[in-house]
Amino acid sequence: MSLKYVTPVAMFKKYLPKDYVELVDFGPFGKTQDEAGPGNMGQFKELMEEHPMCSGCWMAYYIRLIFASLPCPEETVTLGTAGCGRLAISQAAVPFIYGNYGDQNAMASGLSRAFRLRFPDKHKDVITIAGDGGTMDIGFSMTMHSWIRGERFTTIMLDNEVYGNTGGQESGMSPKGAVLKMAPGGKQFDKMPATALAKAAGCVYIVKMSPTNIKKAAKIIRRAIFVAREVGPTFIHAYTSCNIEYSIPTEEVFADARAQEKDRFQFEEYMTDAAKEVIDRIEAEEKAAHRAKKGVVAEEVN
Amino acid sequence: MYYVAKVNADMCAEYKCNTCTLYCPEANTLMFDKVGNTSWVDEDRCKGCALCVYVCTDMLSRNCITMEMVHGKE
Ligand SMILES: Cc1ncc(C[n+]2csc(CCOP(=O)(O)OP(=O)(O)O)c2C)c(N)n1
Ligand code: SF4
Ligand code: SF4
Ligand code: SF4
Ligand SMILES: [Mg+2]
Repeated sequence: MSLKYVTPVAMFKKYLPKDYVELVDFGPFGKTQDEAGPGNMGQFKELMEEHPMCSGCWMAYYIRLIFASLPCPEETVTLGTAGCGRLAISQAAVPFIYGNYGDQNAMASGLSRAFRLRFPDKHKDVITIAGDGGTMDIGFSMTMHSWIRGERFTTIMLDNEVYGNTGGQESGMSPKGAVLKMAPGGKQFDKMPATALAKAAGCVYIVKMSPTNIKKAAKIIRRAIFVAREVGPTFIHAYTSCNIEYSIPTEEVFADARAQEKDRFQFEEYMTDAAKEVIDRIEAEEKAAHRAKKGVVAEEVN
Repeated sequence: MYYVAKVNADMCAEYKCNTCTLYCPEANTLMFDKVGNTSWVDEDRCKGCALCVYVCTDMLSRNCITMEMVHGKE
């Protein structure tokens, strides 16, 4: 898409669905994060729409945050695969590509290359968002090969430590001992070391986290996207609990995510020197723009 | 018959807050009204998870949100 593409001709507006017009008028297209970003969610029309994910699902929450954090939603394409997350990702006002199970990183490799050829003058952000089963089990070879080849796009793994969508089977990312379907006596193997694999395969920016601090989680999503534009593959491994299969009462889902910060999802951030350069440069630019805008507002007030 | 979140607007307006709206798993559901300085719930979209109650009551000790039963129209 592009900004021009999403903006309707004024005289057609009254014939368009209300949700769409609201999105154009009050959505984040063409706006800065200060105007319509994670910090003021609830005050603009968000890209994510109503979806059938369970009540209180932390994965749904993190997907909401991903869409609110996008640096340029009108120039973004997401790719995913079977699993709970796609139920919401596919309902957002950002093009979504859905292929065979686990092939999201293979498709994204081709797509991001094609975008670079077709649009050499601008950044088209490509992001794969898939579950732990889709990323580390069934899609494992395609995930690894995209990283080993240095494909420049962002991979986000929504790790609920189970196959949520198919009723709770053990995954490679389930912790050892977890009692799940197909693991009635408790899982016998360790949780796969996803971030270590990413590092060995050549990802240039890697984060493991439990998204409980909205500012920090949003900053990391943006960092991963900015670095993928210029340097190489980036990977976010996020804890996004499944309250159904792990029997977490919905009102305790946030508390569980905070507890995981001290357990299996202690914060890790890795970046290469080249990735750091990009992050430092872009964050300095953002700060300067923010300060300049504040200055203008102060002048107007005076 | 199901639960939805209800915000006590008078209590909420005492604080310049907007925290619960940042943690609802549903988009365009728990909104914040900047003029009235209060959050409010689009009941048709609320899934009744009470995560917002955890934020307002357990984390912030402000107790402005309650879960209430709504009854479908006959
Ligand atoms: C080739 C193929 N095998 C199996 C399935 C069935 N299937 C659908 S979702 C899923 C696993 C989902 O687990 P995960 O990727 O962790 O996503 P979650 O639902 O937990 O978010 C499976 C095995 C499928 N759709 N395609
Ligand atoms: S099954 Fe689990 S991960 Fe899937 S939508 Fe429900 S709570 Fe979320
Ligand atoms: S957390 Fe409580 S006080 Fe804060 S905006 Fe929400 S309802 Fe109001
Ligand atoms: S109960 Fe859940 S869905 Fe409803 S407003 Fe609160 S956080 Fe959002
Ligand atoms: Mg899963």
